[in-house]
Amino acid sequence: MSLEPMLSRPRIPYGTWGSSYFPAWQQSALAEVNIGQFAGEAAGRIYGRRRVPLSEVDYLVIGSTVPWHWKFWTAPLISACFGRRVPGYHVEQACATGLKAVLVAGAEVQAGREVAAVVTFDRTSDSPVGVFPERRSHERTIAISDVWDNFGFDPATGKSMIATAGNAARKYKLDRREVDELALYRHQQYFDALESGFLDRVLVPLEILGVNGRSIGRVDSDAGVRRLTPEALAAMRELDSCVTSGTQTHASDGMATLLVTTRERAKELSPRPEVDVQFVAKFETRVAPAMMPEAPAEAVKGLLQRTGLSLDDVAVLKNHNPFAVNDALFARSLGCDWRTMNRTGSSLVWGHPQGPTLTRCLIEGLEEAVDLGGGYVLVFGCAAGDVGIAALFQVTEGGN
Amino acid sequence: MTETPTNITSLRPSTLSTLGLGSPLDIFRRGRRPVTAEEAVTAVFGPPEHRGSLVISGASGIVGAGKTMQLGSRLEPFGVRVVALDMPGAPDGIGRQYPGLVRAFGREGADRVMSNITRLTYDGKSLPPQLADFDPRFLLEAIPEILPIKRAHYEAFRAEYPDIEIRSVTSGFPARELGVGVAHPAFPHEINKMWETVEAEPSHIPQLLWALGLVPVPVADHWSFVLDVIFCGVTQAAIRYHRASNMPYWKIDKWVRKILGPNPFRAHDAIGAKGANFLTWSCLHHLGEQYGELFEPTPELIERKDSGQTWYPPNHFRPLVDWELTEAEEAELRQWLIGPMVQMASLLLEEERAHPSIANAIGETCAQLRHGVLALARDLGVEGSRKAVTDYHRHHPEAARGAWFPDALEVLNEVGLQQLYVNAEHDGRVGSITLSRESYNWDVDAELNRAIDWLRSEGIERVIVSGDFHLATQLVGADTAEFFPALDEEEEGYRVSSAWSKTARRLHDDFATSVAFLDGKRCLGGMLEMVLHCHFVVAESNVGLGFPEVTLPVVPGMEGCHWPFRRAQRGQWSKLAELLLGGRSVKAEAAQGWLIDFAGPLDEALRVVWALASGDTGDQGEVQGIERRPLFEGPLEGVAAELDKAETPQMVAGGVAIRDTVLAATAASLGEALEVQSRHSARFMPSAACRKGVVGQARDRVERV
Repeated sequence: MSLEPMLSRPRIPYGTWGSSYFPAWQQSALAEVNIGQFAGEAAGRIYGRRRVPLSEVDYLVIGSTVPWHWKFWTAPLISACFGRRVPGYHVEQACATGLKAVLVAGAEVQAGREVAAVVTFDRTSDSPVGVFPERRSHERTIAISDVWDNFGFDPATGKSMIATAGNAARKYKLDRREVDELALYRHQQYFDALESGFLDRVLVPLEILGVNGRSIGRVDSDAGVRRLTPEALAAMRELDSCVTSGTQTHASDGMATLLVTTRERAKELSPRPEVDVQFVAKFETRVAPAMMPEAPAEAVKGLLQRTGLSLDDVAVLKNHNPFAVNDALFARSLGCDWRTMNRTGSSLVWGHPQGPTLTRCLIEGLEEAVDLGGGYVLVFGCAAGDVGIAALFQVTEGGN
Repeated sequence: MTETPTNITSLRPSTLSTLGLGSPLDIFRRGRRPVTAEEAVTAVFGPPEHRGSLVISGASGIVGAGKTMQLGSRLEPFGVRVVALDMPGAPDGIGRQYPGLVRAFGREGADRVMSNITRLTYDGKSLPPQLADFDPRFLLEAIPEILPIKRAHYEAFRAEYPDIEIRSVTSGFPARELGVGVAHPAFPHEINKMWETVEAEPSHIPQLLWALGLVPVPVADHWSFVLDVIFCGVTQAAIRYHRASNMPYWKIDKWVRKILGPNPFRAHDAIGAKGANFLTWSCLHHLGEQYGELFEPTPELIERKDSGQTWYPPNHFRPLVDWELTEAEEAELRQWLIGPMVQMASLLLEEERAHPSIANAIGETCAQLRHGVLALARDLGVEGSRKAVTDYHRHHPEAARGAWFPDALEVLNEVGLQQLYVNAEHDGRVGSITLSRESYNWDVDAELNRAIDWLRSEGIERVIVSGDFHLATQLVGADTAEFFPALDEEEEGYRVSSAWSKTARRLHDDFATSVAFLDGKRCLGGMLEMVLHCHFVVAESNVGLGFPEVTLPVVPGMEGCHWPFRRAQRGQWSKLAELLLGGRSVKAEAAQGWLIDFAGPLDEALRVVWALASGDTGDQGEVQGIERRPLFEGPLEGVAAELDKAETPQMVAGGVAIRDTVLAATAASLGEALEVQSRHSARFMPSAACRKGVVGQARDRVERV
């Protein structure tokens, strides 16, 4: 079955993309850097490795959620970091950022741009502390640690992120044992992908320099990923219903990047010009207060309804799953087997630097689809504010 | 080989002859330089009683101000006034030079130079009437690179001063477009002595520069001269690699330094990005129009030409992500860099843009190339060079459409290209070996051997060894870049030391009489070790002589730790020890009798050299009482005691190793000493002291990317 794509012009050139590894917060040299500058320079390196001259790029969409030094200058500054002076735009929608940025780039190409780069990034390590005048508080001033204080408090509901997972688990009567089993399975999927070399096509090791020009570390692993056992998982303290430190993601640092361009330019830029990656559809939604894990399922339902497809039509399901609860709930809600999702790993395992998380999900999903010989790739996830986002891409002419 | 008008047969023409100044052997035969500074100044500015002035227009700019200092300090003693001419609003480039002038000449000297400079302003159209008071004889034009403005400027001067000599410092316009000759200097303008000159015939102006101790190098009249073809070309190659790979400029700069020598982007920023970017663009723009895509400026250069933006990131954006290269990526980078260099070499050869030694030296002296473009191509060989360019064209096919002359590379095998650094000539009786490279490397070593072979094959038994009176203004020692492999591998150090020592011994063993002549500022280290093998060493009085190895530290490897001892009286050994262990230089006049044989004023020294070399006054050197000092071939006794008498600083690793080497090498026979010395020298190279010292640090700078 083939659909009329929502955006007819944009394509994602196969094999030109890349991502840094996502080391857990405070566990790598990325804890030391201006993450915006890092992302810009890393993008240059990744495209160099992919043999894509950045002189081809005429627009830049960046996505990040955690403030960084000189954030005010956004995309134009990041493009300067990879040696180009192109216009651009900054996208921010919490954990949906990494996918939304790609969709924005698609819209730019649809509107006439030739080659738009998407660079998403975040550093949760040493996240900045914002000091806000707040006359309604008795302190008159409030200091907010950008990552942790936001995770812990949705001003619209007064609830924390973790509480939304607990709420959803209780609503759907999820079983802790199933959620543990799911988390264990996700880890195994990741390690299988890692050991098969699959992730080498996605992730690029990067050497980080200090101010004196000497290396301060090499980012060449998703540091912080643990090999879990059923016993260890079962023994973990429950922080909320079905949520333990083993069944939720961890904060991490990193970047990811891909190009969006026309069919013709994609053929020129891609090492496999026969592979065609199209934008088919997208759907965004918002669910009831403090029920965030429901949102991805609702977004996918909306997308399927909009396109007339069923999950059986989809070759690759890839989601951002900060809680294992998300996947269990999704399977329950959509009537599918969670084992068929996230076959090369997911953010539950490799961590969550926010901005680039869904970009990496998308890249892994597209690579997986090419391995499978093509098909629809459904990428989705939740975001702060009980938001869900889903987007459908079609890969054709793929196959090993 | 070449016959010159003075019946001198040479391996290849001397570069000096390109200035109309004859050959080095002529200088020795005549016992004087072909033109003195006084004669050259008189020829250009008139006799002392009617001496005119030098006018430098655009004198406040980077080039103009630098040259006002360089020429002003040299002409002031001859009573030549300097007029610095510029627009009223020009920033004060000359005042900024004063601190440097004080450093070079002291406050009194700097004040003297400055007070000889008169600054005048003009409106760019009509010349100031006060200029006539200075009797302008020579205009050095350094105004902006806009052809119509330059031409109008010359017309204004010619209208007022019909006989004035005019030279342009232009970076790119040929003399035929300008209508005047060219004297294009190299950065940094205060101190770089090299000037590319374009003259219809050798004239007084290059000879004046030469007589003032500068290095004029004649080049052919083409768009952009040799230096700019090379330097702008290497910059362009680096930018093109950035376009292809995204590698940031700062990183490419390090790779260019490692592979070729210069830091083109750092150099642009250091000179001043706005001006330097414009000049590079201007040269490449004209070259691109003439020769096509090889030189066509890229959008990145055009953007920086317009904006003046630096190539390196600002300090607050020091790079975060390193660029490691795979072997395949590095091989491709080398193709992007070396291919254009060889293609440019083919252009230089095809158009015969300069004497090959000059074209090669310009790259080394002014563009910081470790090996000049012709030496680079020669090392690759004819087929290797063609392959390098073909490989490059696979990445950049447009570059193959112009300025590619594969057939021109055939001359790489000819003697002119084989002897880039060392020439030899003879008059049938006395030969001369001249070095045009200031530091000794493997190329010099190979060429020196070929020069010796040639003189021997010509039946020459008497030889003079010297600099070339042109490109080499001093002999600074071994090229320490050649030691880098020895820091890791002792055998490599042994190879360097023993091979170079064997070459040096040929100066002693292969000739009945060999005479070294030293002029210029200094002769140090390996170069001094090499010339000390000659039977006689004659120097101009003020030449500094020394062994700075202990300060690096390295152990002298060309027999400096025993050979001079074998030729000196026992009572003088402590002086040799002070040289070797102290690292300080000594003036030639203070080194007579124990290190060298004669020191005196230039003309006298030249006459002594000729007398000794020609043997006209007796083979044993009965010239001014100079006798050939014997070379003691057996083990020397009592060296340790004499070393103890030397006044030397407290010895650390280098000093201890040198002392040990002296003791071991002098305790051996002459036949064994070369091996002993080489082993000691090589053994020290991989030591922590050496690796952390100047050589190790230099290697880190060059090879760490």
